[in-house]
Amino acid sequence: MSGIAKEGTLRSVADFMRSYLLVVLIAALVIGTAIFEPRFLSGMNLINLMRQFGPLIMVALGMTFVIMGGFIDLSVAGIINLVAVVTISLIQIVGQVPALILGLAIGAACGALNSAVILSSGALTQAEALFMTFGMSTVYSALALLYSHGSTMHFWDINKSKSLFQAIGAGKVGPVSISFLIFLALLALLWLFQTKTTEGRAIRLTGGNKIAAELVGIRIRRSIVVIYTLCGLMAGVGAIVLFSRITTAAPVIGAGFETNAILAVVVGGTTLKGGNGSVLRTVMGVLLIILMSNCLNLLGVSPYLQVVAKGAILVFAIWLDNRKQ
Amino acid sequence: MVLTLRSNPLVGILTKQKALPFILVMLVGMLFSKTRFYTPYNLLDMLNSSSILLILAFGVTLTIVAGGCDLSIGGILVVSGILSIKLQPVMGMWPAILCAIVFGLLIGFVNGFLVVHQKTEPFIITLGMGLLLTGVAQQLTDAHPLPSQISDFMMISNGTFYGLPNLVIITLVLFLLSAWLMRYTQFGRNLYAIGGDYEVARYSGINVIRTKWLAFVLSGGTAAFAGFLLSSKLNTGSAIYGDLTALVVNCGVVVGGTSFAGGIGGIPQSALGLLAFGMLDNVMNMLDITSYIQILLKGAVIVAIIWLDSFAQKRKREAI
Repeated sequence: MSGIAKEGTLRSVADFMRSYLLVVLIAALVIGTAIFEPRFLSGMNLINLMRQFGPLIMVALGMTFVIMGGFIDLSVAGIINLVAVVTISLIQIVGQVPALILGLAIGAACGALNSAVILSSGALTQAEALFMTFGMSTVYSALALLYSHGSTMHFWDINKSKSLFQAIGAGKVGPVSISFLIFLALLALLWLFQTKTTEGRAIRLTGGNKIAAELVGIRIRRSIVVIYTLCGLMAGVGAIVLFSRITTAAPVIGAGFETNAILAVVVGGTTLKGGNGSVLRTVMGVLLIILMSNCLNLLGVSPYLQVVAKGAILVFAIWLDNRKQ
Repeated sequence: MVLTLRSNPLVGILTKQKALPFILVMLVGMLFSKTRFYTPYNLLDMLNSSSILLILAFGVTLTIVAGGCDLSIGGILVVSGILSIKLQPVMGMWPAILCAIVFGLLIGFVNGFLVVHQKTEPFIITLGMGLLLTGVAQQLTDAHPLPSQISDFMMISNGTFYGLPNLVIITLVLFLLSAWLMRYTQFGRNLYAIGGDYEVARYSGINVIRTKWLAFVLSGGTAAFAGFLLSSKLNTGSAIYGDLTALVVNCGVVVGGTSFAGGIGGIPQSALGLLAFGMLDNVMNMLDITSYIQILLKGAVIVAIIWLDSFAQKRKREAI
């Protein structure tokens, strides 16, 4: 009797570990690092951690919807390059508020163009989307290079007011940075969109089974347009937060964002097969990546080995995710 | 009439092959340009500079035909290239090269374990593996280029044999070897069967796991071989060459007509796909197109050809 009960508890512990592995991992990381390196829990470091919720989380939130819809988007790197160089130069030409709006519009337009290319070809698989968006990324990056003539643009070259971007980059409300507040607001909006709207549910059903979704009357073409446009828009937000923070925009600024965003989404537990997942899970995924690099930095591990650790975590997370099914 | 047209092999090739018409367009177009395109020197140079990507494509084709794909080849390429130089002072040139290739086979083995045995999604798991290996490469070289100290090493890729560059000869031999492997051996035919329908292949008694696993091991091995050839060609090992290589090669294989659905395509098609990329580079250089426009055109060509491929598949679905 007690043996069965014990087995039951053991199994429920195992179940808990499996479904909340990420939370357990994050807790273990925090406790482990706090013991080895007391500076980890200092106020400075916590503020530093909050600042890390910057460009990557924005891009990853958009990517979540694409992956939930059963597709993938490698073009975010190209979109970030393009939006960053165009927006920073527009501040000088049209002023800061129109520049911000136009920058976001370019991001969304690039995303919409991706969906147009995918829809017109009738591609239904992730692999086809992977290579098409890779090609599109190359095109956007080339446009960014052509537009900027390959040169880096700096904030100090702009003599018009750029207070809005300076606020996004370095502003604070009390101890909380403005970019963190932007992240919270966007997260709330996207979470409502995902859980409370029919479109959000339609995206998940599209990802689950495209043909079945179409048969029950879900407009999968609309879902595909929505996910890519949203992803492009969020890449635009990421680009603006990124160049505002580092006060320069180079046409290669977005390199690596596509892999890291996919990494964050998948590590968070949104499966690549599509059909399930959540923006909240992506936040957990990003949190794990941020905490990991913060811990490794504090422990003095070389940045190259951190790349190794990221790759290993990605491989491990996918393997684990696969075993669950 | 339609039937006879369909059964005509030439028409069949032209409808399935997107790379070949593209190559023909470039070849005809260059007839009218006043450049040095049609000189033996340039044509050999074009083959020579495409050779590394071609060798990578031969291995990747095995995995794609079997219904997988391999995006870790960029990482394997750089790490094995660095190993083949870094191990030279320790053990001499040839053992170092051997170690680099064994390393590639090992990574392929791990990829195969994860993808075939554990049934994970191949493109994301190999992407992760590629990321991991890029980190290893940076750590090994401290992100600096690493030159080789042995002068013979450089001659492997840069030497010539009766006027032909060694790299071109090596590529040709590997081409024939892998084409033979895919077409005339049981292993190759089994790969097509597995890519065509995994379950049917399993029930017809093919050892599906071992066969597909071997495809990943061989892909890792060829990537490592290409890695040491690249290091020899440049006489340096560096972590930066792997960044986009994997995507470009997998894309080239698909452009050539080896479908991601598995079971369709082959080595000659992949060679055409990668040659189309190589020729595009060469033609754009000949026409003095600036590098940014070159990137733009290359991206557009990738999108256009994959678009055509998907569109053809959609038409086929609708026809049924």
